[in-house]
Amino acid sequence: MLAYVAKRLALAVGTVLAAVVIVFLLVHASDTTPGAVRAGAGATAERVAAENEALGWNRPLWVQFTDYLGQLVQGDLGTSLVDGRDIAADLADRLPVTASIALFATLLSGLVGVFLGVTAAVRGGRLGRLITTGSGVALSLPAFWVGILFVYLLSLQLGWFPATGYTEFSSDPLGWLSSIAIPVITLAVGGAAIIARTAAAGMREALTQEHIRTLRAMGTPRWRIRYVHALRYASVPVVSTLGIQFIALFGGSVIIENLFALPGLGQASQVAASSSDFPALVGVVVVATVVVVVTNLLLDLVVAALDPKVRTS
Amino acid sequence: MSVIPLDAADEVATEPVPPARRRRGLPGLLRRPGGIFGAAWLTFVIVASLTAPLWRPFEPGQQDTANRLALPSAEHWLGTDPLGRDLLSRIFTAGSLPLLSSALMLVVAFGIGLPLALIAAERGRRVERVISRVTEVFLALPATILLLALIGVIGNRLYPVMAVLGVLISAAVYRVLLGVAQSVRQRLYVDAARVNGLGSLRVNLVHVLPSMATVVAVQAAQLFGIGLLIVAGLAFLGFGPGEPEPSWGFMIQDASGYIYTSPWLMVPTGLVLALTVVAANELADALAGRAAGARGTRRRRRPLRRAVAAAAVPDGTPADPAAVLEVRDLTVSVDDGPDLVTGVSFSLRQGQVLGLVGESGCGKTMTARSLLGLLPDGVSVTGGSIRWQGRELAGLPETELNRIRGREIAMISQEPMVALDPMFSIATQLVGPIRRFREVGRSQAKRIAAELLRNVGIVDAERVLKSYPHQLSGGMAQRVCIALALTGEPQLLVADEPTTALDVTVQAEILSLLRALVRDTGLSVVIVSHDLGVVADICDDVAVMYAGQAVESGTAEAVLDAPAHPYTMALLGANPHVPEGEPVPERLASIAGTVPPPGSWPTGCRFATRCRFAQEKCTVPFPALPAHGAGSVLCIRVDELSREHATWTPERAGDEIQPGAEVLAPADETAPTAGVSS
Ligand code: SF4
Repeated sequence: MLAYVAKRLALAVGTVLAAVVIVFLLVHASDTTPGAVRAGAGATAERVAAENEALGWNRPLWVQFTDYLGQLVQGDLGTSLVDGRDIAADLADRLPVTASIALFATLLSGLVGVFLGVTAAVRGGRLGRLITTGSGVALSLPAFWVGILFVYLLSLQLGWFPATGYTEFSSDPLGWLSSIAIPVITLAVGGAAIIARTAAAGMREALTQEHIRTLRAMGTPRWRIRYVHALRYASVPVVSTLGIQFIALFGGSVIIENLFALPGLGQASQVAASSSDFPALVGVVVVATVVVVVTNLLLDLVVAALDPKVRTS
Repeated sequence: MSVIPLDAADEVATEPVPPARRRRGLPGLLRRPGGIFGAAWLTFVIVASLTAPLWRPFEPGQQDTANRLALPSAEHWLGTDPLGRDLLSRIFTAGSLPLLSSALMLVVAFGIGLPLALIAAERGRRVERVISRVTEVFLALPATILLLALIGVIGNRLYPVMAVLGVLISAAVYRVLLGVAQSVRQRLYVDAARVNGLGSLRVNLVHVLPSMATVVAVQAAQLFGIGLLIVAGLAFLGFGPGEPEPSWGFMIQDASGYIYTSPWLMVPTGLVLALTVVAANELADALAGRAAGARGTRRRRRPLRRAVAAAAVPDGTPADPAAVLEVRDLTVSVDDGPDLVTGVSFSLRQGQVLGLVGESGCGKTMTARSLLGLLPDGVSVTGGSIRWQGRELAGLPETELNRIRGREIAMISQEPMVALDPMFSIATQLVGPIRRFREVGRSQAKRIAAELLRNVGIVDAERVLKSYPHQLSGGMAQRVCIALALTGEPQLLVADEPTTALDVTVQAEILSLLRALVRDTGLSVVIVSHDLGVVADICDDVAVMYAGQAVESGTAEAVLDAPAHPYTMALLGANPHVPEGEPVPERLASIAGTVPPPGSWPTGCRFATRCRFAQEKCTVPFPALPAHGAGSVLCIRVDELSREHATWTPERAGDEIQPGAEVLAPADETAPTAGVSS
């Protein structure tokens, strides 16, 4: 078990390191320089050169890299080339926005998806086919298009939630909830579809297991067979998929935050990408990779706890 | 969206496509409505987009200022955008970029992932470890955000960006294909002769790649859809071809600004994009060969009550008044399909053990399971009666049966290792039914559980209670299963090949445990076995089954000592009598030929094709004759044969391997160590 944990940790650190190396090399392979970005369009060559010198851009690559790693370990992600803001502080403000949306969307997908998937598996028939087909369609829909449909329906037609914008939790908790409602629902459409498929497949597989027949032969009530034994069996793939969904929704936040004008990580990465704000880009990639890696680690632990075979070895 | 490929990978990996299905190819695909739609729509979109410059009614940039934000009309089939440009022309002009760049992504992803998978599968453990570690890192990278970083660095160039995405996704492709490649290779090693002398490239080209074709196609279709979504998403964020060039993502972004005034604007573009992705996924589903949700949902039962009512009327033969279980003319059939069991009758007194014997595929298991109403989906009792302590069980509703299961009739199955729930401890699995059956508290139930375990010969009951099924040996698991079956203090135990999956020494232990239970508790047992040694060891009565019929029945002693039916003689010849208490010996010989499968039983004697004594008259139907006192025998020549003192000597070793003798057992009766024939 200890060796296993050590291996997972090593892989996690390796992944973050790989991400840093990749973006670092990318930035250095670019034909623009950070000096040019900071100096802005139309700056003279001398100005750009001076900026680059000031940023330490002309030092050997490995010196810059070890420098950056050293800062990174201390939680320093540098400052923006565009407006000089502290990137670590900025991303720390943005992370909760993205994380809460991804988390709520994952939970909602889990609830709806498990309900639909289990229904499809145990009821079968026309309803089951409808759910399977419906989830096949739902997971193919582009999130930004679904988002606009929901804005039209829930905001413009029904007036339940604001169309765009973000309210701070600290200033107005209810307003916060309604400001993330449509983004969460939008993300949950595809998420729930994928969970429903996983849950349905897991339940169907569970219900054909030999041990389910033993339970039937013991006269176990049907609800108990389905919702205690089969669901428990299907929980491992469902929980794994939920973890994967959280990561996927975290990535999907780029588009959702753009659509709903939410000040999250995704928005930051879009802005950084369109303005070639290199330190901000590297920072966003590092933070996103850390989130993915930590989620994966947690997921491994949860799955291990769910599966007696892993737990008891 | 960065990780959707991973998920897709899981779905494909956990549902490998059986090779048989692969051959059906295109026709099989087109039999599914989703597949037809997917193929048709994709073809349409691809052709229409690539040829758009040839047929589009307007230039994509051409502005019709009088007709801004128009709804569909004869002139503009799909309406116009805020600048009065024709939506139809713009949508299909925009189509070729996402379609082509997704295709590029696929080429890169498979161009890297496929060779890597082949190499890893071929070069063995060490190489595979290295490649797998690297791909794991790739899989854990946040693809979407990395793509944005890439755009920030190299600028707004879609083809290189999608190529890089292909590199990232190749890790997911590798992961799925590696599993397939490895299993294909394993198969190849089994018949290594075919591979001998072929170069590595040829082996891959000729043997491995074709077997992977389906999985590759499924993956490709799914990833293509994901690629389209990503291209559109990037364009939506402004990282696509800029104005006035049309792009799906940007057109939707544009439409979102007019949602108040012209909601129609977002419909055509969104629908085309959504339909194209749906089509790719539907195609993948159809390729993977799983009809969405259509599995095992259709249930049409034959009218059963009629058959049961007819059979319930006593047909002249007085039932054995001492019998607790009386089965008469039992027929079990596949719904809308062939019969699996026909006209089987037997009875059982309290404290007695009845053996159902025969080769795999003779209907023993179906007969045994019908006693508890536990037939597989789509199989049901279609005639005859099952009287249990005076009650008719055939046709009893599920709720009534549930009250009998475990309480009056319990069952143990042939594979103890999978018969227990892997997710719960033994204690939990015993305590639940004990509380339900005996209406006691938790702590009391726990005590009873430990006691039950000790009663089935488990010494360290406390430790076993804390264990999970995977921590038990096969023999231990079977003991736990027996303890579980005893929780409801049943009067009848149905044991389906209870020792087949176990080691020879453990088999004898389990049998003597069952014998002790019968002796001490007055339990009645129906035991299914292909092993006459088991019958000789434990049974009072026996019914020999062949091709869905009971061909000979009577007391075990009579049947084993003086078999009247040629099939019983053959079984005995193949598996000589074993003195009680001795371990079951190695199987000696088999009977040439195989059991005819349900639906292809000959009229007349079903054993005729394999019987050494078969004659012309055996091919016409004839009734069973009384034999062995209360038993019967189903052979038209039985009198002649007994006069002639006919015997069935074991076949010579050379006869053992008959072509066609190694046919696998049907799914309902898989006997892993089947001794009689397979
Ligand atoms: S009826 Fe004929 S074929 Fe059938 S077992 Fe008797 S002798 Fe053999």
